[in-house]
Amino acid sequence: MEPISQRDLSVNALAALARNIDALSEFVGRAISWIILPMVLVQLTVVLMRYVFGVGSIMMQESVVYMHATLFMMTAGYTLLHNGHVRIDILYREASARRKALVDLGGVIVFLLPVCVLTWWVAWPYVATAWSVLEGSRETSGIPAVFLLKTLILVFAALVAIQSVSQAIRAGFTLLGLKWPEGGKPREPEAT
Amino acid sequence: MIGLPEVLAILMFVAACGFLLTGFPVAFTLAGSALLFAGIGAALGAFDPSFLGAYPQRVFGIMTNEVLIAVPLFVFMGVMLERSKVAQDLLDTMGALFGPLRGVLGISVSIVGALMAASTGIVGATVVTMGLLALPTMLRRGYDPKLACGSICAAGTLGQIIPPSIVLVLLGDVISASYQAAQLEQGIFAPESVSVADLFAGALLPGLTLVGLYILYQITVAWLIPKSSPPIPRESLGIDSSATLLSRVLVALVPPIALVVAVLGSILAGVATPTEAAAVGAIGALLLAGHRLDPGRSRAIVVATLSLIGVLILTAVLDLRVTRDTIPTQDLAGVVAASILCLGVAWGTIVALFRVYGVGVLTDVVRSTARITSMVFVIVIGAQLFSLVFRGFGGDDMVHDLLSGLPGGVFAAVLVVMVVMFLLGFFLDFIEIIFVVVPIVAPVLLQMDVSPVWLGIMMAVNLQTSFLTPPFGFSLFYLRGVAPKEVATTQIYRGAVPFVIIQIACLALLALVPGLATWLPKALFG
Repeated sequence: MEPISQRDLSVNALAALARNIDALSEFVGRAISWIILPMVLVQLTVVLMRYVFGVGSIMMQESVVYMHATLFMMTAGYTLLHNGHVRIDILYREASARRKALVDLGGVIVFLLPVCVLTWWVAWPYVATAWSVLEGSRETSGIPAVFLLKTLILVFAALVAIQSVSQAIRAGFTLLGLKWPEGGKPREPEAT
Repeated sequence: MIGLPEVLAILMFVAACGFLLTGFPVAFTLAGSALLFAGIGAALGAFDPSFLGAYPQRVFGIMTNEVLIAVPLFVFMGVMLERSKVAQDLLDTMGALFGPLRGVLGISVSIVGALMAASTGIVGATVVTMGLLALPTMLRRGYDPKLACGSICAAGTLGQIIPPSIVLVLLGDVISASYQAAQLEQGIFAPESVSVADLFAGALLPGLTLVGLYILYQITVAWLIPKSSPPIPRESLGIDSSATLLSRVLVALVPPIALVVAVLGSILAGVATPTEAAAVGAIGALLLAGHRLDPGRSRAIVVATLSLIGVLILTAVLDLRVTRDTIPTQDLAGVVAASILCLGVAWGTIVALFRVYGVGVLTDVVRSTARITSMVFVIVIGAQLFSLVFRGFGGDDMVHDLLSGLPGGVFAAVLVVMVVMFLLGFFLDFIEIIFVVVPIVAPVLLQMDVSPVWLGIMMAVNLQTSFLTPPFGFSLFYLRGVAPKEVATTQIYRGAVPFVIIQIACLALLALVPGLATWLPKALFG
């Protein structure tokens, strides 16, 4: 048996990291995506109550807003994993695997991660202020959790940043021609 | 008067278009380019970094924008109809109904594209879906590949401007905000408003005009070159008697069309907001899917559908409000009846949910809905950063001075904006243009007393034309991606050209007769 080199160890560690990140994004995305069902049902209930029986519920209407925001903010990383964020792929589609990997790695480093860092950085005081007063709804009978809603901005930045690390590792492997360790190659995610 | 900040604003725009062509996801490329230039600007003293502090508030504004809630609901509706094969059946049945006539498959594609695409509105998604759904059938039936490809690309982009499409929801929201801003700028402190429903109403006649012209073209081709669009014998579709045909039409054709018409109708009638109508549409699509997946056992679903219609009728004839002090006996009976009917709706919905879940379609639908919704909103969020930085550079004022200083006044300003948008359509998809370009140019144009509805519809038809124009049009690329190898790229291009001509004719018509867009909203909403 060949001795395992330092280099192999770090390759294995990176592969494991990417795999775990993918699993996390997959789990969060699959779980959160079900929110669309209560969202549809509650919105329909609101409509029937208002139009048929003349009863309005601010709390129910606001709950739809909460579900809506949670749906797209918390599935952004999952969408990234599944290559669901639209690309202008006129050139990208025809490009070689190496070139694609170069774009993906460069994009993560130059665009994606800095944007996540900025979002986190400017959103932190914004969210902290909301927490310090446990900011609630402007409506008296609304949901008293606007501070949680605002926190989604941080969650969004974190989830996207984490998933982008996995995308970068994947691109790095392609660029360096590294082999994925046994059972470690991330499966090709299904297309949207 | 162009200083360093303005130069950076222009460079940022050009650089973003260049970066986008590398193929990195649009949302992050837009935001990333903006951040890059904000950094350069700050280093050169041409940008005030405190501008970025407004970013979280903007993101939160998107998260809590009640108009945009319609987007995931419409996406759910569209994906549900597609994945449960309701859309496929619709296309097949339409082909069967008129099959023996020449050219009908192409016409069916136009109509189904208009109906189905309405609920997604992403150029790529629609063209790919229509390409997979219709192109193989058309080629197998001996259609001229040029005609088939042109029809599909055109139908795919058409859905964007046929309400209720999500891009019209997004565009309506931005136009509405721009209109408010423009009027405030002019010192009008009791501004008129324009809503998504106004835009829906405005888009209807131009959209139907386009469908009509497409169909006219397809009939003309079928008549002049019979070989290009052969008839389809009904027998080949397993339909041997008019009774089977009738039942197919009743089952596969009428319900989805009725659903789309009902959703649109309730918005245009001013009864429901787009969000409310979208929720009903989503449930309707779920019930249709439940029925489609097991037509033999659809008692619960039929009951739910009839109950829903019953509730609406009861609401129309009786006063069912329960918050009144005294309720007449007649109304009280109505309330009880309506409550029972609501239970019927709930029962059918639950049955449909379990059935759609049981065959694995529901899981697929919710995941697709989540990915498409997230994709749309992350672009919106990314575009916010871009427009924030653009404003920080004083880019808004620059565009304002440029447009209002043009010789030729309003006409020249609108023309320049339309040409620029047409060219940008080669690089940017509809949503990016709505959130990056429209907020910059629309307030300026609207201050020149341009009608907001007309402007929105002009932009929509213009972009749709751009997406269809060879060699850069988006929809052509997307169709190339799913078309079989035997179809040459030049055939796709040549097939699209007649439709581009139709589009340009329609744009000219809209420019000459603005009433085509503005008449219906005025007639409906005053």
